[in-house]
Amino acid sequence: MSTKASTQHYRVDPHARFRVMDDEGIFVLQDAGEVLVVNELGAFIVEQLKAKHSLDEVITSITERYAVDAERARLDASSLVDELLQAGAITRS
Amino acid sequence: MSALTIAFAGSRYRFAGLNPEQLDLVRSKFDALLGTDDTQPDVEIDVHYSPNPEGFMRRPAGPVEYRVAVVHAEDSVAVAGIGFTANIDRRPLRAQMQTCLADEWFVGAFENLFRVVACYRLFSEGALVLHSAAFTDGARGFLFCGRSGAGKTTLCGLADELELGILSDELNAVTTSAERLELQAMPIAGDFGGAPSAHPPYPLTGLLGLAHGAPPSVDRCSKAEAVSRIVASCPYINADALLVDELTSRAAKLVERMPLRILSFAKDTRFWSVLNHEYQSQHAALSR
Repeated sequence: MSTKASTQHYRVDPHARFRVMDDEGIFVLQDAGEVLVVNELGAFIVEQLKAKHSLDEVITSITERYAVDAERARLDASSLVDELLQAGAITRS
Repeated sequence: MSALTIAFAGSRYRFAGLNPEQLDLVRSKFDALLGTDDTQPDVEIDVHYSPNPEGFMRRPAGPVEYRVAVVHAEDSVAVAGIGFTANIDRRPLRAQMQTCLADEWFVGAFENLFRVVACYRLFSEGALVLHSAAFTDGARGFLFCGRSGAGKTTLCGLADELELGILSDELNAVTTSAERLELQAMPIAGDFGGAPSAHPPYPLTGLLGLAHGAPPSVDRCSKAEAVSRIVASCPYINADALLVDELTSRAAKLVERMPLRILSFAKDTRFWSVLNHEYQSQHAALSR
């Protein structure tokens, strides 16, 4: 399980674009010409990160919105953040 | 030095500065699309032949598949491949090509540049150019977007067995008007081959992505997946920071007008009866 600093902030990478469509989200990674789709929860997490909320704040928002426990929310959020960092879709800010 | 004009999808591309060997090569390849009117082309491409291969990407010993390098800047787009470099000005859209090639390798370089220029021209005209396979039954046009390995060439081979008309197994364009969506063949063939030929536009009847699976089926997908498949299939433009937002918006509008479906198919021709039925049903529903 990932152990990210809860105060860490993230933003959409300058070489990527993010857009929400019918609750799901799309990242266009310009350098690679690749596109990633994230589900409703993923789109919510990215929107929260874009709104300059820390990872810990995002996790709290997930528990409130989706009625899941904090551990589950942390696992989901950390996993997605890891994947998006690796793909170059988001970056630490 | 001589010039020629290639016309397709409503645009004329004038290539000037070709030496006699280059001219013959291009003429023999694009014979069916050569225009007779050289005045006021939509895009001008100047070719400068420099026989010294130093400074160009070297040609390999044998046939090779490689990715053309494309670098986007604010005012221009730089392109480089085996034996050539080029610069494409965004406004007005025009290009300058430098090449050390005048043999059969020149055709590949020419196509590589033409592909990029045509994508930009058609995008500026409101169209989307997609990595895709496309075929027609004479009345309806079907487009299957997907990148390398998606099954485009396989599908074209199967469609050919069914005597459906193949447009291209590599690049096709979707043009939009208030009335309808049209499918335009690009004069670039992939592995399926064939010389470029003049095709009329066909009404776009089916917009699909590809998946491997049996038995064949046509399935829905979310709007986000549909848009992502289209954006991922639009070469050059999807990597251009100045155009990618417009591309995404245009893809979203396209799937609102014509939902993208996923065709799952195996290496047999059973897919056609499923596809034919799916889009006959849709046509009937629209006619009521």
